[in-house]
Amino acid sequence: MRVLPKNYEKKVSENSTMSKKKLSKSRFDGVKPIGKPLFLLAPGVLWLLIFGLAPLLFMLMMSFWTSSIFGTKPDFSFDNFSRVFFTELYRDQLIKTLRIAFMTTMLTLIISYPVAFLLSRLQGLRKAFFVLLIFLPFWTSYVIRAFVWLPILGRNGAINNFLQSLGVIDAPLDWLLFNEGSVFLGLVYVYTLFMTLPIYLSLEKIDGALVEAATDLGAKPFSVFYRIILPLSWPGVLSGCIMVFLLTVGAFVTPQLLGGPSGIMYGNVIASQFLANNNWAFGSALSISLILIVMILLAISSRWIGVQHVFTGGKET
Amino acid sequence: MSSRDVSVEVQGVSKSFGSVIALNSVSLDIFKGEFFSLLGPSGCGKTTLLRMIGGFEVPDDGSILIEGSDTSGLPPYERSTNMIFQHLALFPHMNVWDNVAFGLKMKGIEAGIIGDKVTKALQLVRLEDYGSRKIDQLSGGQRQRVAMSRALINDPTVLLLDEPLGALDLQLRLSMQDELRRLHKSLSNTFIFVTHDQGEAMAMSDRIAVMDQGEILQVGTPEEIYDKPKTRFVANFVGHTNVFDGEVSNVGNDGDFEINCSGLVFMGVGEMKVVKGQRVSVALRYEAINLSKPDNEVKGASCLGVVREKMYLGGMFRFETVTKEGLTLTADIQQEEQSKLIKEGDKIQLFWEPESLAVLLE
Repeated sequence: MRVLPKNYEKKVSENSTMSKKKLSKSRFDGVKPIGKPLFLLAPGVLWLLIFGLAPLLFMLMMSFWTSSIFGTKPDFSFDNFSRVFFTELYRDQLIKTLRIAFMTTMLTLIISYPVAFLLSRLQGLRKAFFVLLIFLPFWTSYVIRAFVWLPILGRNGAINNFLQSLGVIDAPLDWLLFNEGSVFLGLVYVYTLFMTLPIYLSLEKIDGALVEAATDLGAKPFSVFYRIILPLSWPGVLSGCIMVFLLTVGAFVTPQLLGGPSGIMYGNVIASQFLANNNWAFGSALSISLILIVMILLAISSRWIGVQHVFTGGKET
Repeated sequence: MSSRDVSVEVQGVSKSFGSVIALNSVSLDIFKGEFFSLLGPSGCGKTTLLRMIGGFEVPDDGSILIEGSDTSGLPPYERSTNMIFQHLALFPHMNVWDNVAFGLKMKGIEAGIIGDKVTKALQLVRLEDYGSRKIDQLSGGQRQRVAMSRALINDPTVLLLDEPLGALDLQLRLSMQDELRRLHKSLSNTFIFVTHDQGEAMAMSDRIAVMDQGEILQVGTPEEIYDKPKTRFVANFVGHTNVFDGEVSNVGNDGDFEINCSGLVFMGVGEMKVVKGQRVSVALRYEAINLSKPDNEVKGASCLGVVREKMYLGGMFRFETVTKEGLTLTADIQQEEQSKLIKEGDKIQLFWEPESLAVLLE
């Protein structure tokens, strides 16, 4: 046993409190809090209010107004909404748009998963090169990426010219463009990256040791994929699906350029109300309806596919 | 020893990654039911060797036999080995139960039998109430035990452990060492344990292979490795040792010999075949050396010196001394009463049992 000075402990404790006091003084002296930290959020909240929420609220308000050839005037009428849901034309258009969005999502998923998987398997410079290749088209404008299909698929486009020069066809094919199929093609092409990227990132995050552990425990390559890789990349798949679905549901430029009369989507209907028919009230009602339906769909699907994983990075909450 | 059954036979295995040689023609026999440790600093090739036995690396040359049959070309999922990974690699999207059941499910075993076996495997590591827990709801020690039962439920011929205790704090580490030893005693599987911690290897193993730079330097029981290291590296790596270069200066008729290290003469006991003039090294453990006053009568070999530094290490004192020949000899002394009397700068006498001296031929 060692013998300590009698007042050793006392001294030590005195010292420590003294140093604490000193510390707190030196750290906070002269610094006064500006206000409750919540106020620091003000610029962001304001920005959101002005540029995000306000237009949306205004649109919601306007959807209850009435438009006529004399202009749009304030009102509280559900006429616009009953027209949206009970006119066959608009209802069919809505269903068709949801169908196209769903199919596009599935198609991009089928294309993107293998691509993302292969990409995640590559190493070093090759990986960088292929990631760059995939990004390359996205350095140009979205409109140009949709527009580029016109000279490819058009009557005097690349495909028709090629087939004619080979003698496979006599007259140019005119079903290549301006129908639902060409809209699909355009949408899939334009939005694939929004699917590939989140899947690729979630595959990249998977620890290689997990794959080794599964193999070690007797899982053959297919089982490893099905039981380890697929479930762990599921959050990426979901966020990709949600993003592509949301983007295609509101698509406007692609169907405008490639769709023709039969390839029209909801976005075009909405746009025509604002731009051609000058019926802002009805256009607003169409927009609000679409937003509501998408939100309801998301809420329903979250019940059985765990959409919350997208926002929590795959962790249980 | 030769009468024991061999579980894993490593025959002249070599492996290099690019220009780095990971293993250089390594041969090794590991016996059935043995707790065998591969001990060495990082980069010595111990993990590569372990991963080869598990099927995760393919040898460039040589072969590995498990239970007498060649494993060349067998993927991990067709081997009777299971591994506990360095960072455990528990499946984060499954609960404890599904993690443990994974191996049996992959073998296509009936659900009822899987249920019984998982229950037993969880009991074995005292986690029977944790089956429905998610992995991220477990403590470090619980995760270790899940990893153990996930591997052991498959009743592997060989259990491979890739430094699974490396990330734990000291207390937990000690208790997991106990757990592993307990499991090993209650089971008949062969355990191969990779570690860079010599204390851990000493405490747990039946036998140890000390590795450095892709080669196995010495294989033996912990006592053999500790008391009779064969090379300078082993002597330094395992425990605290004074190592001196010297030359055999005299060989007696009974085989005993003298080694001259810069003027200080050590006595070697005659188990080794040496010739006069041969260059050897000697190793003397810190704790093999005792101190006393210069004029006291002492037993065994001795020399005179001066204490340069004295440190208290908790439970013992460490004395750094300089002998009158100018060599630095460090001694760990446990008797506190005696040690307290010796101060820095004191003239002292160092003495040790001649048998505790290890002669290194390298």
